[in-house]
Amino acid sequence: MVTVFDPERLEEIEKEKKEWEETALRENLRRLGMSESPCQFCTPLDVTDRDYLEKEGFPGQYPYTRGSYAVPVFATPFGEVLEGGVVAPRAGQYAGYGTVEDTRDLWRAEKRRGANIAFDLPTQCGYDSDHPLAEGEVGRAGIAVDTLQDLETLYEAFEGLTTLDGMVSNFTINAPCNIILAMYFALAEKKGVPLAKLHGTPQNDILKEFAARGTYIFPPEPSMRMIRDTITYCSKYAPEINVISICGYHMREAGASEVQAAGFTFAHAIAYVQLGVDADLDVDQFLRRFTFLDFGGGMDFWREIARARANRRVWARITKERFGAKKPRSWIMSGGDTIFVGPSAYTLQRPLNNLIRGVIGGVMGYLGAGFTFGGFPWDEVYGLGHSYEARQLSLDAGRILRYEAKLKQVVDPLGGSYFVEALTDEVEEEIWDVIRKVEELGGAVVAVKSGYTQREIARSAYKFHREVETGERVIVGVNKFTGEQELEVVPPRLVPHPYDPKKLESAAERQLARLARIKKERDQGRVDGALKAVHEAARKEDENLVPYFMDAVKAYATVGEICDVLRDVFGEYEAPSIL
Amino acid sequence: MAEEKPIRVLIAKPGLDGHDRGAKVVALGLRDAGFEVIYTGIRQTPDMVVGAALQEDVHVVGLSCLSGAHRILFARVVELLRQSGREDVLVIGGGVIPEEDVPFLKERGVQAVFPSGTLISHIADYIRENLPAGREA
Repeated sequence: MVTVFDPERLEEIEKEKKEWEETALRENLRRLGMSESPCQFCTPLDVTDRDYLEKEGFPGQYPYTRGSYAVPVFATPFGEVLEGGVVAPRAGQYAGYGTVEDTRDLWRAEKRRGANIAFDLPTQCGYDSDHPLAEGEVGRAGIAVDTLQDLETLYEAFEGLTTLDGMVSNFTINAPCNIILAMYFALAEKKGVPLAKLHGTPQNDILKEFAARGTYIFPPEPSMRMIRDTITYCSKYAPEINVISICGYHMREAGASEVQAAGFTFAHAIAYVQLGVDADLDVDQFLRRFTFLDFGGGMDFWREIARARANRRVWARITKERFGAKKPRSWIMSGGDTIFVGPSAYTLQRPLNNLIRGVIGGVMGYLGAGFTFGGFPWDEVYGLGHSYEARQLSLDAGRILRYEAKLKQVVDPLGGSYFVEALTDEVEEEIWDVIRKVEELGGAVVAVKSGYTQREIARSAYKFHREVETGERVIVGVNKFTGEQELEVVPPRLVPHPYDPKKLESAAERQLARLARIKKERDQGRVDGALKAVHEAARKEDENLVPYFMDAVKAYATVGEICDVLRDVFGEYEAPSIL
Repeated sequence: MAEEKPIRVLIAKPGLDGHDRGAKVVALGLRDAGFEVIYTGIRQTPDMVVGAALQEDVHVVGLSCLSGAHRILFARVVELLRQSGREDVLVIGGGVIPEEDVPFLKERGVQAVFPSGTLISHIADYIRENLPAGREA
């Protein structure tokens, strides 16, 4: 046994601990009238069988328990940018509303230099704005992109400010991801920017859509094939594009426990890495372009911290030991090293309390993760867009943690804590159990196909709710402390916002007009030819569809038309019944 | 009591919104509370929802939407139910529904809107007390 403790000393500690239990603890419990202590208490005895170098090591070194980088992101100038009320990547805040013109004008007014695009649900599900299922949804959850013309209009926002090779574009879209990516490549070609100079991240994580979020189109196998296409196409022509952003957040928000969210995310990640391996790509080369979004988070303070520490170790072991990656860069869980309190932990009741929940997430981030912020704005729960007041409060919360409380002074301050190290080991083992279970079923694709992942998540969601319903789990202002003497504190949201709700009302109509116009103006013969080529290529499993999508979008074929061709070849996913 | 027929509830997700945690939790909770619950799954058109409601001869339709499309979709479901002569079906809703929209939905026949944080026992009580006349279980 390798241990940082002297074995003889450990024996003494064990003896002393027994004595403490029988004297000090027992006496205290007797005075309080308690039968056992409500608190866990750890000593070196809880972490005896550990080799410091193997289990913990140094920040920025394998197995990364103590941090992904020697200097955590939260302590770098990049962390300054991230301190905001929401994580603000270089591409700017995640946004999009109404039509592309509305969002273009808003971005221009804000002088944005990066595109972080929210797409509406019809676009995410591969339906054009004029499809019956799009009714009521056009321009709601984001912008509608029917054709390349929509992207061309949107990117007018950056004219005179930056060019495609000087900016970052993030596309939060999954099932039709490669069609949108093809539009971006086509846009770059038109503007004379080489694809090799493009930077950006499409989300492209279809497995979590099957598992939790629901914007799937095709069955899992052809969906995975399209992600393989992203990996192989980008590694050859657009090597600076991060091919995927693997997400735990959506599963967590859908009700997965912190351990399930982590375990399923890694099971999904394993399936994605295997795509690159099966395509004979060098794992160290393509892993450089794998990123994680985040794993979400709840109010269970210690377990979230342990989960974040364990996550880094699990990913390092998967990439190094399972896939044989040799470069340290491949072992780092790029982008996923976060903890925050997700919106599902926020409450509509006494909503300003959400500010406090967000701040607790911010503290957890400093204690266990690599970057952090002051939490989502408290008014996230309304689903109306954040008010400037709420955003200000979250920004200031992040600043107070950073500058007044000086939380950025230490890397992994809980490293070496008997309790936190023991809990990290325990949570890590639970995460491996989830991964192993998925592997036993045949891997992540089989697990979502059979509905296993969905059922597990629904089961946890219901368990959580039962605990709220019975009062076993307390949510302040929701199931406890709700008496008449309590005050509903709702601060004002009055500062005018450029987000014009009237525009949203007319968005569908305006988008339908755009779509009708482009359909009339385009060369229909060229569209038909390109769609036929997509059809033929889709039938050949080995063919990479990205170039065919590029031809089709350049002819202004719509997302819906291209997806219909693919539906014809691939079929559509039918969700397994899980209730 | 033993002779009582259970109240039949259809939980439905109209529109393209895939956030179905709430819908599933309410479905499971009402089932545990003794209701007979059918869940449509996601991505239903109002036509599909009403079709399922008629086919299953439910007492209650519970609609869930978190994408902002509730004003159009919920109202359409009520309208289609009425066109089918089924004014005796209690329609309730939930999801991310801004408070300002609640009067609009009520005017159009959505009889109650349950925001996030609602206990299922509360929804169960509401249904038992508000079944349309002649349809009490």
